[in-house]
Amino acid sequence: MLEFGYGGKILRLDLTKREFQIEPLDPSWIKSVIGGRAANSKRLYEELNPDCDPLGPENILIFGVGPLTGSLLTASAYYTVTAKSPLTGILGDSAAGGQFAAEMKLTGFDQIIITGKSDNLLYLLVTESGVKFVDCLEYKGRKIVESTDAIRREQGDYAIQVAAIGPAGENLVSFAAVVSSGNRVNGRTGMGAVMGSKNLKALAVRGSRPVKLADPLAFLSENQKIDQDILSHPEYKKRYRLGTTMLMKDLNSIGILPTQHFQEGVCDYVDEISGQNLADTFKVKNKSCFNCNVHCSRYYLEENQEAEGPEFETLCGFTSRIGNQSLPFALEMNAYLNQMGMDSISTSEVIGWMMECQERGLIHPDDLDGLSITWGEQEKIRRVVDMIAFREGIGNELAEGTKRFAERFGEEAQKLVMHVKGLDIICGDPRGIKAYGLTYAIASRGADHLRAEPYFELTDRKEEARKRFGTEKAADRLAEEGKAALVSYSEKIALLTDSLTMCKNIGLCMDILDLERASSLLRAGTGLDYSSEYLEEILEDAIRLDHRFNRRFGLSKEDDTLPERFQKEALTRGPTKGSTVDIQRMVDEYYKIHKWEE
Amino acid sequence: MACSFFHTGKVSNRLARIKVLNLYERGIDGPVVCIQCEEKYCLSCPEDALTLGSRGQIIVSPTVCTLCGVCEKACPIGAIEIFDGIVYVCDLCGGTPKCVAACTEGAITHVDGADKRASLAGIKKSTKKMNASQKRQYFLERQGIALREKWSRKHA
Repeated sequence: MLEFGYGGKILRLDLTKREFQIEPLDPSWIKSVIGGRAANSKRLYEELNPDCDPLGPENILIFGVGPLTGSLLTASAYYTVTAKSPLTGILGDSAAGGQFAAEMKLTGFDQIIITGKSDNLLYLLVTESGVKFVDCLEYKGRKIVESTDAIRREQGDYAIQVAAIGPAGENLVSFAAVVSSGNRVNGRTGMGAVMGSKNLKALAVRGSRPVKLADPLAFLSENQKIDQDILSHPEYKKRYRLGTTMLMKDLNSIGILPTQHFQEGVCDYVDEISGQNLADTFKVKNKSCFNCNVHCSRYYLEENQEAEGPEFETLCGFTSRIGNQSLPFALEMNAYLNQMGMDSISTSEVIGWMMECQERGLIHPDDLDGLSITWGEQEKIRRVVDMIAFREGIGNELAEGTKRFAERFGEEAQKLVMHVKGLDIICGDPRGIKAYGLTYAIASRGADHLRAEPYFELTDRKEEARKRFGTEKAADRLAEEGKAALVSYSEKIALLTDSLTMCKNIGLCMDILDLERASSLLRAGTGLDYSSEYLEEILEDAIRLDHRFNRRFGLSKEDDTLPERFQKEALTRGPTKGSTVDIQRMVDEYYKIHKWEE
Repeated sequence: MACSFFHTGKVSNRLARIKVLNLYERGIDGPVVCIQCEEKYCLSCPEDALTLGSRGQIIVSPTVCTLCGVCEKACPIGAIEIFDGIVYVCDLCGGTPKCVAACTEGAITHVDGADKRASLAGIKKSTKKMNASQKRQYFLERQGIALREKWSRKHA
């Protein structure tokens, strides 16, 4: 019986039969995976047929929260969506903040597990007592905020939170996103397409089961320390003003801001497209996730455009990465992609890749239905994005993802796809941040920084590096040395934040969470006897499980690598000039630490 | 969150006396809470279970209250809501509201305005047939109009 922290129940839904079941959550099962991402991965591992069609009724779509989601814990506002990915064919998951997770937690369901496929487009309203299946044919083609608003109006309850798909998800774009709280995006690995394949337009939640803590006062006191650490953190004010968009200038200053599709790491017009310019010119207010005191998100107004965001990835993806110098255009794309429900990283990669391949003469406009496109061409970018979302013309092929689309072209064009395991690489050139490079290579969902977020290598804490990872080099962004040890540590803390459903900017980048603190929060929160040793053990188990899972999907050590560009081509100017990544060395060391065979 | 935890030791928006809404289509977020209006519509309680405290706050007597729901219906902005047998309305936490202390934006202030009560007569009719959640949405959206004008001016 799970009385504290956890909701204590799971909800299983079969969309084909329109039936649901409520089951108690097995206390020893959940204790060994904490919650959030780790619990979702384990559930999928235990129940999914790995050979299933990701877009078939057999695929299992899981929404998961954790024991401290929506509790007193600051920034505990994340939920994870997990399924087999239609983009990569392996483990897929994506997390988002906002308000959805806290409301889902109040339903008492720690996991909502969805299988089958509905005949007609529908949305689900999940409350503590069960599920309403609501047909919503008239929602077809609606954008995210329109659907969110319509559901709340229809139900007459504005506390309802909605995770929905837009047209891209309905059209099974393989990198379609799930979006909640209007602009909070589960962007990566195509979870929106999985929802679309089940004819599920939206999952709406409204709960009434309060989050109870085993020892509220002990929890409160631990959390007050967290709040103090956040408010006195040297980055606090900057994060409050700029959020992740602070990275535009920060990454540019060390020469790793992807420019013209990773051909350069320094962008000459960075001031124009910077977070600072956004804050000074278009930001009208700060936005926040549930129970956070950083409020790093922003709302902007720009002529006829308004939306929340953009986060760094979208901003960089639709400026320097594709050679666009106009900030208003990037803001337009942010709003549009969020409302169409499409991942901005994968979308900008496919665009940037086409631009570079055309520039190099590797692809002819005839190969793209006559589309000739080069850096920063706004009208054409708009058209391509639209064609992908609605799978029109060449957009129908591009919607399969860059890696798959590139297979029809020669080896040179394929080599220019910036991906790992089929997932497009984020905006951060690994040639100047080696631990990030290793993280992209080993991440279980494909090219991804969030699986470890080894921000430590950028903090210049040499003494701390020697103490924690045995060498000062772990804090030297250009060194390969010590990075396997750093990543092996920070991937545990990353998984811990994902499982406590805390924000990674706070838990990891601001270095707020460690095993000791997490175990004390978990003890006070759930009443279960978590210790830091136990946490470390189960986190290692969970990382091993992800690894085994992907072996089951047919991956091998060879897939843990980086695109050739980062290994062989050095950047020609800026503070990262001359550097390449010896990825093999770092992956070997990483495998050694994990005692994994080839 | 602070409200719910202070009063009950648990966290839930159902247990909070201040309700935060996010109107995503307008970009507006904000709390709705008892503003101690001039009219005090809720005091029309047929059992006289609601009385006025020394700070102007509404005090509910759980022994007298019959959960008839008249106060919830009477409040034009959804600041009173019954959930699970309890009437939830702001009690000012005994004079030092926890929500004010918790808000790092300084968005909530508590001022003693005994001589200057705001009137809700203007919206009473418009929200008559709405439930508490709908009334809060209506109230916040109206407040948002002024805010959005300010944004537009800033932008211009």
